[in-house]
Amino acid sequence: MNRLATLWGEEWGEYNAWELHWTSDVWGGTFIFLGALIVLSLWFFWASLSRIRSLWKKVFLYTLRVFVLLLVAIVVLQPQLEFKKIQPLKNTIAVLLDDSKSMVIKSFPSEKPRGDLVRKVMEGNREYFEMLKQDYEVDFFFASDKIDPVSFSNVVTGYREQAVNTDLYQVFLDVMKNYEGKSLQGVVLFSDGADLSQDPLDISPEFTEMLTRLNGPVHTLQAGSNQGFKDLAIEKIDATDFGFIHQPLNITVTVSSRAIGKKNIPLVLKEGDKILVSKIISLKKEDSQYTAELQFTPSSLGKRIYTLSVPVFAGEAVEVNNRWSFEVKVIRDRVRVLHLNGRPSWDSRFLRETLANNPKVDLLSFFILRTLTDDVGATTSELSLIPFPSNLLFSDYLKSFDLVIFHNFKFSPFIDKKNLPNIKEYVEQGGAFLMIGGDLSFEGGGYDRTPVEDILPIRIRTGSRKYLLGELPMRMQPKLAQHPVLRLENDPKLNAKAWKSLPPIQGVNIGLVPAKDSHVLSTTRKSKSSYPVLVTRQVQEGRTMAIATDSSWNWNFLRVGEGGSGRYYQKFWENVIAWMTSEPETNPIQVETDKEKYREHEKVVIHFKVSGKDYNPMPGVEVELALNSLPKGQERVRETLKTDEHGEGRFEFAPGQEGFYSAKVALVSGGEVLSGEKRFIVFSPQIEFQKPLVNEALLQTLSKVTGGSHRVLEAGMNIGNLAFPNPEVEVKSSSRMVSLWNSWWTYGLIVGFLVVEWWTRRKSGLS
Amino acid sequence: MRLKLLILMVCLQAGILIPGQAFALGEASKVVIPQIKYKGGTYNPRPHAVEGLLAQMAKRTSVEVKRVPLFLKPGDARLYRYPFIYMGGSKAFKPFGKKELKALRNHLTYGGFLLIDDNSSKPNSEFDRSVRRMISRLFPRIPLQRISRDHSIFRSFYLINQVVGRVVNKPYLEGITTKGRTVLVYSANDLGGAWSKSKLGHWDFDMIGGGNRQRKLSLRLGVNIVMYALTLDYKKDMVHLPIILERLRRVNPK
Repeated sequence: MNRLATLWGEEWGEYNAWELHWTSDVWGGTFIFLGALIVLSLWFFWASLSRIRSLWKKVFLYTLRVFVLLLVAIVVLQPQLEFKKIQPLKNTIAVLLDDSKSMVIKSFPSEKPRGDLVRKVMEGNREYFEMLKQDYEVDFFFASDKIDPVSFSNVVTGYREQAVNTDLYQVFLDVMKNYEGKSLQGVVLFSDGADLSQDPLDISPEFTEMLTRLNGPVHTLQAGSNQGFKDLAIEKIDATDFGFIHQPLNITVTVSSRAIGKKNIPLVLKEGDKILVSKIISLKKEDSQYTAELQFTPSSLGKRIYTLSVPVFAGEAVEVNNRWSFEVKVIRDRVRVLHLNGRPSWDSRFLRETLANNPKVDLLSFFILRTLTDDVGATTSELSLIPFPSNLLFSDYLKSFDLVIFHNFKFSPFIDKKNLPNIKEYVEQGGAFLMIGGDLSFEGGGYDRTPVEDILPIRIRTGSRKYLLGELPMRMQPKLAQHPVLRLENDPKLNAKAWKSLPPIQGVNIGLVPAKDSHVLSTTRKSKSSYPVLVTRQVQEGRTMAIATDSSWNWNFLRVGEGGSGRYYQKFWENVIAWMTSEPETNPIQVETDKEKYREHEKVVIHFKVSGKDYNPMPGVEVELALNSLPKGQERVRETLKTDEHGEGRFEFAPGQEGFYSAKVALVSGGEVLSGEKRFIVFSPQIEFQKPLVNEALLQTLSKVTGGSHRVLEAGMNIGNLAFPNPEVEVKSSSRMVSLWNSWWTYGLIVGFLVVEWWTRRKSGLS
Repeated sequence: MRLKLLILMVCLQAGILIPGQAFALGEASKVVIPQIKYKGGTYNPRPHAVEGLLAQMAKRTSVEVKRVPLFLKPGDARLYRYPFIYMGGSKAFKPFGKKELKALRNHLTYGGFLLIDDNSSKPNSEFDRSVRRMISRLFPRIPLQRISRDHSIFRSFYLINQVVGRVVNKPYLEGITTKGRTVLVYSANDLGGAWSKSKLGHWDFDMIGGGNRQRKLSLRLGVNIVMYALTLDYKKDMVHLPIILERLRRVNPK
């Protein structure tokens, strides 16, 4: 070998083998054609030498031609010599450790988690693996629905049963890809086989086909068994992601029971600590799956977190599947509005039309159509009038309304004075109350010194004049231009222009003094006196508003007559309804997260915008950010943060573990606390616990198909007799190619032979 | 206390009542009914008709009215201060101009209401033909249709099952309804003649055929039409239906 190598004048000691290569670019037929051509041309050439008498000359010329043809053939066939170093290769064994969550499930009767068995067997067989490494390359992987390589030294210490899903098909697919072109001679799989994607008794044909392509056997080492397995689990919940407030919501719950026995168990649905509904499920020995229908009625808006639970019995394999928390976004179906009109008027007619045509509004309206002094000239049966259901509305059903409007409405004699505190209480607990002006409103309605005045955004100053007439232009308060009620246009300049474009009101209730904590959004002036027209107020949990005129309809009909449209009138009332019913976008503090749902260990980005009660941004103020886990409200983070020049701020949070969270930003302003909240979910799928049984059949099939063995792990078990093939496999570690044709002497010899041949032929009298 | 309770019970039995006003409402909020002053014919053959209707509204209902005669041309911008307008006549009138028609159409489309009343007391009168011609140009795509008996107009205050006027040329009302709202009502029965009352308190015109009952029904129909314009389909709200249907069943047992 070395002699051959030295022909090329190099040091070739590092190679231990050589190989001749011919060109692969030439078509196979070319060789036949080339051979035939050489034979034919030699025959013609011999014939052309017939005039030469000397046999030696003939032979000499013929030999020259043969050499030329051989050299041409070499150029065509492009031979190369490969010098290479060949080494023997170790075969590989892949050891897979299932690190999915189901490995934390206990085995019986030892009551040890399946993962612990794996750890113990790995530790107990350390010597075996060391020994195996002498004959094989042994690679270790954590496996779930993918494979993650791990070193032998860390295989026990780094083993965490945290993966959220088991998919053995995907695992073996990854193994095949990983060992493509390598000599994998077997797999050892430590697993409970709890793969929900495979039928325990009939694994998919694709899986079987892939296993047959594996060179070596798959030895399955089953962690845990189903012997004595006892578990009660909430297996599945069918519930919508959203529901409507005050509307019943149905959920279907699937509960599974194994070895629990004949018992009656309560299935309880809670929000926080409050039990919403419960149902008794009768467990029977012969059944393992039960379906229950539950119905509850959400009573609060926003993202609500509900928790279903069944009792935990002693000796259960899994306890975490006895509880299931889920989120429902509770929204308003429609805003329920009670609209009471003291008398029919154009103002009430246009407002009623606006409310009735608003698809978001469920309107109940009443008009007072006649007075005590009116002479209808007819019997009751000839009239369409109905009694006013005062007690029903203001005692029993008041809280079912999202907004109550008194539109130029005098409460007496329809509402008993003793029911007025109900209105106050309704507002304080989150209701909305709007009083629209006219001669029957405010003082004209007798509301001074009543509980209604307590909640109104104005104080009623009794006097002789109650109403001021005339063309009265509205003046929006520039400082409150950001208030949601005033936002007819998003752009501040366009908004100011929009308000200026509205026709003047025709009259205003006077003698109204803004309450201490109210916001006067707009006023009107006459004779140097200013009168509040639109006034708002936050009253504990609820909101109130006063509109001190009964001519807002001018912004609609009269505006059309001026060549405009009623668009701003519609928008104004949409704003009023949204603000009064505390729609989330009307909250002065807005909190947002970059996503609604996060995976475990994913970073949560919280963004907040802080405005004051006047809805102006608050730059450079300190706010408290509290992150709580729900439903128990356990505080996870509390930080004091400062807003930037736009009144905004940002916070990043790593929740670390699954659950429901609330991010609450609070600002203390003037002794009051303003706050905004955003809820988000950090999820870690619990699918592993839904069907937690060991899948022995699957593991057995894996072994059977590949010619491996299947064993059930036991503490202290010796796995030393697992068999793997170990064929000799060599691998080329280095090589060098040397061309045998592409050199100066190949072409030089061809030319030289042809020249000698030509000279000899000339000398012999041939052309 | 007992007296208060008694009063309230009486009120509830009788319908919805409130005591008389302590002070006057702003003039601008009162219901004013202007009349259309058109060219040709006679636009005001019943000079006291609207005033008479408003007087009945004030007497019978809680609606606050302003009884001032007001005549506006069809294209007058001031029409938008008055969502309810009345158009009477007894003779043929000149067709409205395009601008006038457009202004009137916008008025009605965006919230207004027009009551047209044939005061000629004759069936198929010249005024009737002019009106139909005008309406076909006003709403070319919406035909003038007979108003059904379950329309809110017939239950907005009184429960009405007969359509009359000073005469009974047609025992029904016709109307134009767009986007669920009736914006124009046409009566061929001279309602204004039945409402018209002199300042001395005497009825201006005798009823033809039905006497006092016919006048009473005409007045009730007038009140209902104005009340419909003010409250729209309020009486079709679910809260009213059971009682109204029960009363209608008693009146019309069939």
